[in-house]
Amino acid sequence: MKTLIVEIIEPKRLGELVTVSKEFCDTPDIVALGAGDVPGVYNKAWQTEETISANLVPAIAELIQKEEYQVVLFSASTVGAGLAGPVAAKLSASVVSEVIGIEPDLVVRRPMYGGKAVATYKITATPAILTIRRKYFEPAELEGTTAAETLTIAEPLVSLIAEKQEKSEGVPLEDAEVVVSGGRGMGGPDNFSMLQEMAEILKGAVGASRGAVDEGWAAPTLQIGQTGKIVAPGVYFAVGISGASQHLAGIANAKCVVAINKDEEANIFKRARFGIIADYKKIMPALNNVLREE
Amino acid sequence: MHIAVLAKVVPDYEVPAGDFELSDNRAHSRYTRMMGLYDENAIETGVQLKEKYSASLTIISYGAEDDIPVLRKAIAMGAEKLVLVTGQSDDASVIAANLKMAIDNLGDVDLILAGQQSADMDRGVVHGTLAEMLGLTFIPQVSKIESENGGWKISQLTETGSRDLQFNGKGVFSITSIPENVPRIPAVRAIFAAKKKPVEKVAEVESNAMGIEEVSVEIPTMDSVCEFLPVEDVGETVKTLLTKLREERYL
Ligand SMILES: Cc1cc2nc3c(=O)[nH]c(=O)nc-3n(C[C@H](O)[C@H](O)[C@H](O)COP(=O)(O)OP(=O)(O)OC[C@H]3O[C@@H](n4cnc5c(N)ncnc54)[C@H](O)[C@@H]3O)c2cc1C
Ligand SMILES: Nc1ncnc2c1ncn2[C@@H]1O[C@H](COP(=O)(O)O)[C@@H](O)[C@H]1O
Repeated sequence: MKTLIVEIIEPKRLGELVTVSKEFCDTPDIVALGAGDVPGVYNKAWQTEETISANLVPAIAELIQKEEYQVVLFSASTVGAGLAGPVAAKLSASVVSEVIGIEPDLVVRRPMYGGKAVATYKITATPAILTIRRKYFEPAELEGTTAAETLTIAEPLVSLIAEKQEKSEGVPLEDAEVVVSGGRGMGGPDNFSMLQEMAEILKGAVGASRGAVDEGWAAPTLQIGQTGKIVAPGVYFAVGISGASQHLAGIANAKCVVAINKDEEANIFKRARFGIIADYKKIMPALNNVLREE
Repeated sequence: MHIAVLAKVVPDYEVPAGDFELSDNRAHSRYTRMMGLYDENAIETGVQLKEKYSASLTIISYGAEDDIPVLRKAIAMGAEKLVLVTGQSDDASVIAANLKMAIDNLGDVDLILAGQQSADMDRGVVHGTLAEMLGLTFIPQVSKIESENGGWKISQLTETGSRDLQFNGKGVFSITSIPENVPRIPAVRAIFAAKKKPVEKVAEVESNAMGIEEVSVEIPTMDSVCEFLPVEDVGETVKTLLTKLREERYL
């Protein structure tokens, strides 16, 4: 099936979509968003520095129509979320978002009800537009680069005034082998420094639940879960997090979950490999002490 | 300025995974109905804009008549009126076409706010589809909106931080959650007043569903068995934890 990938130039994100594309074709085409070389080998490549989805919709829809793509892959990201609905509506295409599994003959799986259920769909009309949830497909190693033609964008509707990158030291959250996350149970912003200390010693990263983000204790870029980052660390420490299904949706592929929660009934213990029923204020300093001494 | 907020009533999204049951491939009907979480963020954002710019605010929903009492909560938060298109499709294109009909009927809507995603389908597709059907600009994951020189100044959350965007014209924005749009709890007086506000019921229009067939819906099994560590001596607890994590090669 003729397949197009549309993605920001970032090797892991591209690699995951290349892996998914192999379910449909030998070599996909690509629209690469952003500046720089286009990593990997594609039949045809287009490139634009535009990354605001609203400005990309007309050009991408036109390309899909002209080249008669049967499958179009975005990642489930800000730009993918901005493209999927409008592009599908423009082309009367079928769209399935947040895909986590692919079977032959355009059968795809996606979670619903906050991950408490998984639905399987058969797509019966092409083009099929899929957004792929991060961290469910092993990223393909991208060798070499492909020379790209410029994708011409019409007069942009939306203009970028400023961009703010949240500062992140150390390992990126999505790639971290150890993630130490805090929730509403942290009780305030200050004690996140305990999590930070532990993450630093273990060369990991700090994450948060939506509860902690809503309180303003952690930056939205640290949110883990269905509507935050999807992570797949070796160990995930959930500190003062209740374990709502939408949070667990972000750690489905974590190998080991350690839960520290003072409520023995907390749902997080159903997902955890190791549980400590206690106030985190007793446990975290002790953990950091032992780690520091080692 | 007329703002419309798209709000969907869903089965209790806080039911823990262990208690979750399906009937006919959907959440069991015994769960309490409530407003979608991100839709509440969108309503709160709408109410704040209404207060700031003296706008009027309409809530639009596609769903069942039984959900009107839940939707009245949105009115109590600060909307003037509710339009309910009665229907039961879960298809994003059908829902969008019906929301479009309600917006076309209102005639003068300047800004349409939606939740980032519904709290049952978890999909994030309806709003973008609707925007294209209306021929309007769609911007996802919007955290802040200001009206500026007849246009909009918008903050959008991204994976790595945020962006300030500017555009002129009518748009559909999906609203994400930030501390500033945590939904307000309506005062008792507002809840009573909301009971008297107008509810317009409209029958759904026919429209084409997407080419997607639902094969099955299943509840995944969670087979983790938690080993609880004793906490009498905290120093021992953490040492045991670290030893176990290393023995099993997680660390
Ligand atoms: C469509 C949708 C998408 C969502 N997406 C996400 C998402 O991406 N990520 C996400 O996290 N949530 C998401 N949610 C929200 C989710 O449903 C929960 O509301 C949220 O995860 C709760 O955060 P929390 O566990 O920090 O807070 P709470 O549920 O308030 O839990 C706090 C926990 O801390 C414990 N605690 C309190 N004090 C202490 C102490 N001193 N020591 C130890 N433990 C303590 C309590 O026992 C409790 O279990 C989403 C919801 C919807 C509807
Ligand atoms: N039935 C509906 N009635 C009103 N608004 C809806 C409906 N379905 C979806 N929406 C809006 O579109 C957003 C995205 O929905 P979804 O694509 O289902 O995740 C929701 O958060 C709502 O704001």
